[in-house]
Amino acid sequence: MKRLVLTVLSLMLATQVLAASKELYVYNWSEYMPDSVLADFTKETGVKVIMSTYDSNEALYAKIRMVEAKGYDLIVPSTDFVARMHKEGLLMPLDKGKLTNLSNLDPKLMNQAFDPDNTYSVPYMWGSTAIAVNTKDPAAAAITSYADLWKPELKGKLLLPNDMRGVLGMGLKRLGYSLNETDPVKVAEACELLLPLMESVRVFDSDSPKQALLNNEVQAAVLWNGEAYIASGENPDIRYVYPAEGFSLWVDNLCIPKNAANVDNAHLFIDYLLRPEVAAFICQEMGYSSPNLAAQALLPEDVRDNAIVYPAPEDMALGEFETDLGPAVKAYEECWMRLKTR
Amino acid sequence: MRKLRILYATLVFVFLYLPLGVMVVYSFNASRFSMAWKGFTLDWYVKLFSNAALMQAALNSLLIAALAATCSSILGTLIAMALQRWRFPSRKVIHTSLFVMMMSPDIVIGISLLVLFMALSLPLGVWTLLMAHVTLCVPFVSITVYGRLLGFDPHVVEAARDLGAGEYEVFRHVVLPMVFPAVLAGWFLSFTLSIDDVIISFFTTGPTFEVLPLRIYSMVRLGLKPEVNALCAIMILITAVAVFVSQRFLKEKS
Amino acid sequence: MKNDGFFKLAVIVGVISWMAIFAFVPNILVFLASFSSTSTQNFIEPGFSLSNYARLMDTTHLSILLSSLRLSGLVTVICLVTAYPFAAILARTRKPLRNTLLLLVVIPFWTNSLVRTYAMTAMINSSGIVNNVLLSLGIIDTPLAMMYTPGAVVLGLVYTLLPFMILPLYAALERLDRRYLEAARDLGASPWRAFWKVVVPLTMPGIVSGCMLVFLPGIGMFYVSDVLGGAKAMLLGNFIRDQFLTTRDWPLGAAASVTLTVLMGVMLLLYWKSAARLGGKEA
Repeated sequence: MKRLVLTVLSLMLATQVLAASKELYVYNWSEYMPDSVLADFTKETGVKVIMSTYDSNEALYAKIRMVEAKGYDLIVPSTDFVARMHKEGLLMPLDKGKLTNLSNLDPKLMNQAFDPDNTYSVPYMWGSTAIAVNTKDPAAAAITSYADLWKPELKGKLLLPNDMRGVLGMGLKRLGYSLNETDPVKVAEACELLLPLMESVRVFDSDSPKQALLNNEVQAAVLWNGEAYIASGENPDIRYVYPAEGFSLWVDNLCIPKNAANVDNAHLFIDYLLRPEVAAFICQEMGYSSPNLAAQALLPEDVRDNAIVYPAPEDMALGEFETDLGPAVKAYEECWMRLKTR
Repeated sequence: MRKLRILYATLVFVFLYLPLGVMVVYSFNASRFSMAWKGFTLDWYVKLFSNAALMQAALNSLLIAALAATCSSILGTLIAMALQRWRFPSRKVIHTSLFVMMMSPDIVIGISLLVLFMALSLPLGVWTLLMAHVTLCVPFVSITVYGRLLGFDPHVVEAARDLGAGEYEVFRHVVLPMVFPAVLAGWFLSFTLSIDDVIISFFTTGPTFEVLPLRIYSMVRLGLKPEVNALCAIMILITAVAVFVSQRFLKEKS
Repeated sequence: MKNDGFFKLAVIVGVISWMAIFAFVPNILVFLASFSSTSTQNFIEPGFSLSNYARLMDTTHLSILLSSLRLSGLVTVICLVTAYPFAAILARTRKPLRNTLLLLVVIPFWTNSLVRTYAMTAMINSSGIVNNVLLSLGIIDTPLAMMYTPGAVVLGLVYTLLPFMILPLYAALERLDRRYLEAARDLGASPWRAFWKVVVPLTMPGIVSGCMLVFLPGIGMFYVSDVLGGAKAMLLGNFIRDQFLTTRDWPLGAAASVTLTVLMGVMLLLYWKSAARLGGKEA
């Protein structure tokens, strides 16, 4: 019995030690990276990729704080959280020398205020949060703005993201305010506006909202464009509408936590993701917009021209990028709690 | 009256088993998206077994369950024996605490251990998970073994002592053989508790050691998928087999 | 004899240390944390304040607590009413069949509750089994919206926790001495009276422990309300999980956890009182 225990224990230790050098722990949004990309990377480099997922920036941030930036080698925060995490010393500066494919990225998305010089982050995908509708349902087909979601015909047919900023952004936009509003009075106003909407919500989901839409559990869903892209591919009745009041644009970035163990492997993987063919493949599979210019050239016409993936200029004009709220986030958190406990 | 009883019992059994049965049947369904039967296939099982991360998580779960069960059985038996045979300070407190621990909701155990590990600056991973699972299982083993110990003839132990046996000898050669079936039952109980645990693992494991229920949880949140159906079918069958085996085992031993 | 003292001492010290570190210290830490506050630097800042408990008492949080208690209470009652006759039937079945039936109850009991919750999803989904059957039989035209409702959460919890109610009830009913019932009948009591005045009090410890095993986990099982309820129902378990893993307000989460523990304490006291009274009666 004792021998058995000792053998098992030493086996465990051995596997941990041996495997250590050829591993990469990725912490990413769910449904945000095709399994085949990971498999191909492993085939080429021999590095085993273990990916776990989260469904919100807040969850990512809390986990990284808890594990003290250890254990995960690559994470994918949105812009506002890159700023926040960098301010709190949770991110490691990137070694640009290891990233040979960096020049493929669109210069318009680089050197932004949240991370000048891209010291800590490299854009992975960008996209929008707008409304997907099932045109089979007349009330849903008539939606052109956020205000339409409040209509009584949509009661019980709505899906909202399990995302504080996504939902509060809707209220703020309806009132004509910025998505990055820091005035607590205005945030409270948006909160009051949103409270009655909670009755119409059938489900909150940020993991795989397209499922509810495809299963006909909901007829209208506020979600990310990639989800809409895949859903409309499965069911052509599903369309993506950019609301008239404006909507949120976001950029998700690849970062390395401060105390990551497999730093070289992380850089290797980032460089791999920056390859035009890989970025183009991910864009086609997931439906989000790629910041990789070289990849854009490789995309088939129907993807490049698809307004879900790449919004038309007049739609882009209505979009607003999400930025860090700083201490004002407290007002948002209180509102979110009120909305969720309705 | 008798017919009513049979009907009622059958209804409850149907309620308990129908979703599980449906799961097993549909894991062979060739349809990807709907529940309409499209033909028999083993594709999903193949897909499951080629999912390396999932297989690793399954292996991790089995490993942790075996380790946790073994450690809990040893510790739990020692606790039970100490409580039953000896007098020492805090004996009553410990006995009551074991019972309270058994009743504690998983979430309370999970977060309290998380706070402990954070306070001790322990990195979350396989060792913290092991400690957490042992904490979960020990009370069950203790209470089981203690119950068995209570039914024993103290004269046998007295006789051994008269013959000059020390405490350790008494434990090893008299007590342990007598309670062995209960220890074994405790082992199986712990194994199952560990394999099935979701909430405590959620709070106490780290990125480097993923366990199966947590993997299933992230897959389940993505909606109905045939691979998950296959995975669930396998888990249902494994549980059924384990229950049968432990029943046989315990019947023979007693 | 030296060997004797050492073994005994080692085990006792080991047992006390283990209990202290893993059973007492964590709960003491949580209790202390509930009086602290949080900051951007640390999850828990030292300092004493009752603000967390005060915040738990405000309308939003109180409604979370109350709706959790209501939901779990409903689940417990449904389980009790469903399981009691079933356990009684089981206890009255003859031996060889009874063991097989018990085995059949134990298998779902041991199956991973997440797997069972997921299985329930497949049943009540819009494109799930129940809807498919009803649609093909022509009983309904459009699929019933069963998923993502409070009813779905109740169903999921009842489904997952029913075996936890069946087993203690069965244990209590099996131990019940039939002679008490016969005596009551001989004295002229109707079956109904015999049930309420004799059977229920004698099986009270089983009833209370069954209720505890359903009520307390019911409040904490956040994954059932996430998967079946569409993440709409904010129950105490979800709330505690969110505080620890999303909002990072550990002191508030600790306060909620302490509240849950106090609830458990109350139920345990009820259990011991009922067991003691039973012991007294039999003596």
